[in-house]
Amino acid sequence: MVMEWYWALGTLIGMVMFFMAMGVPVALTFITTNIIGVVIFMGDIAGWLQIADNSTSLITRFTLGPVPMFIMMGALFFHTGLAIRVFDGLDVVFGRLRGRLCYLTVAGGSLFSTLTGSSMANTAMLGALMVPEMKRRGYSQKMSMGPILGTGGLAMIIPPSALGVLLASVANIDVGRLLVAGFLPGFVLAALYATLIYLQIRFNPDSAPAYDVEMPSVGERIKIVCTNILPMGLVVFMVVGFIIFGWATPTEASAFGVLGVFILAVSFRSLTFEALKNAVEATVKVGAMVFFIIMSSTVFSQLLSYSGASAGLLEWVTGFEISKYWILFFMFFILISLGMFMDATSMMLITVPIFFPLAEQLGFDLVWFGLFVLMTFEMAGTTPPFGLLLYVMLGVAPKGTTLFQVAGAAFPYLVCDAILIMFLIFYPGLALWLPSLM
Amino acid sequence: MQSIIKAYNALLQGMAVLSGVLIFASFVMIVVDVSMRIVGLKPPLFTVATVEYILLWFTMLAAPWLARIKGHVFIDAVTQFLPPAIKTVVAKIVYTICVVSCSIYAVHSYLLFDYAWKRGLVDLRTVDMPQWIIYLPMPICFALVAVEFTRFLLGFDDMYDKTVAEREGV
Repeated sequence: MVMEWYWALGTLIGMVMFFMAMGVPVALTFITTNIIGVVIFMGDIAGWLQIADNSTSLITRFTLGPVPMFIMMGALFFHTGLAIRVFDGLDVVFGRLRGRLCYLTVAGGSLFSTLTGSSMANTAMLGALMVPEMKRRGYSQKMSMGPILGTGGLAMIIPPSALGVLLASVANIDVGRLLVAGFLPGFVLAALYATLIYLQIRFNPDSAPAYDVEMPSVGERIKIVCTNILPMGLVVFMVVGFIIFGWATPTEASAFGVLGVFILAVSFRSLTFEALKNAVEATVKVGAMVFFIIMSSTVFSQLLSYSGASAGLLEWVTGFEISKYWILFFMFFILISLGMFMDATSMMLITVPIFFPLAEQLGFDLVWFGLFVLMTFEMAGTTPPFGLLLYVMLGVAPKGTTLFQVAGAAFPYLVCDAILIMFLIFYPGLALWLPSLM
Repeated sequence: MQSIIKAYNALLQGMAVLSGVLIFASFVMIVVDVSMRIVGLKPPLFTVATVEYILLWFTMLAAPWLARIKGHVFIDAVTQFLPPAIKTVVAKIVYTICVVSCSIYAVHSYLLFDYAWKRGLVDLRTVDMPQWIIYLPMPICFALVAVEFTRFLLGFDDMYDKTVAEREGV
């Protein structure tokens, strides 16, 4: 059937929204939309063979390998107890600093982000670990939940980011370059969070009361840092270093990241069969679920293209005589709006086939744009009323905590995210300098 | 009947275990491949192609088990506000949609498998692989996912009885 591009776009996106709103699992939403879309736009069911065939094309790409590897790496890191070791080490470093548990969250969360690559897992773990302790120490709810929500999202941009690999694969951009691009902005964001905490405590000291901490001697502290924190650098180097120096492809580097965690777990004698089993189970649960969703992405983007929706929209948008930054702002607004209702993978499938060609046409560097999209996903995850990280936080927060309180705690961190996006717009080198060395 | 159900449950579980074993095997294969390259040995040619195939098998083998443990992510931002009676009706419609879609995929991927098998089609990657290996898990797994959604449809279980926090494993 021949349709105007806006009807075609409305039909395809509308079907996805409708099925998702009904509660159809995301993977089945795209599969069903593709099945119906083929009948509408190709006129018969002969295309069903084609969509079944094309479903295999994206998830049989070697470049997608880092996704399960990063998940396995993070799960091993949690289940072998290495994560707790790092936390204990950082705890000693911060000593008697006022608001130390908040700084500990940001520092620990940033480190976990480099080692796990999962925002959900980060938020869940930091929440379960830190909120009860902060409550016990008299921290306000704002101070206890805010840093966790902010830092939980860091995992999306700091490499290794499983979502970054997915985005790069779906958008057909260089996986390694996108991963490395997130490194500096991720740490700038962590520094912005630390500054925010400092200012919050300065203006409201009661929100994070000071208390006495038993301090080990300087020698013991150095020993703890050397044994608990520094060895984790091995894993970070095995992933990020291998990619930057060009010693391995991102998939190979991710497998070496898993090997790095194995080596550390064996060295600390914390590798058990149970830990390994749990880590592999987590990999199957999360990895296979995400891959089942993205199976349909190739066909969905082909349908958008076949129906004329992508080309029509592209022509229409670029026909306006407005600054490309206004268009960037509209894309940001659409992503944030979608993120209120859906998870990052779904947003990616809907927007990538439209936004990336548009960004290319407007002259944006696609690696830079990929990072911008990841940052926006991060913000969307903490945007009320339905940001997924807010609900994860609500699940681990003390009983009686409301979504409004969780969202209120997250707000200043969203402002930090927005500041970083502005930085990226005015100083693209912040993201593109490291990839340029590759 | 009990023994059939037991065997079916064991099949689902076994497929998920195989999925885990395969993804772990792919990690070992990549590490061995790169290590051989580093020490100057010639790595096997089949690593990349095998890992690519594993990614598909890993996904397909786990899909029915994920349906069983309610691990396929969905959005309940709208349906959570519906009255219980309407919610139940919507849930039944959703299960029906899932059964029909998975069945269509199962049938068509079987046709692809059958075609590739009979014609002896070859998939050209770093090493040549018989193309039916790609299609083989699809009809089986989509059919089993359809069975799982039929269980929900017939009221043996409810996909929506977990909170977001439970679904995220918190």
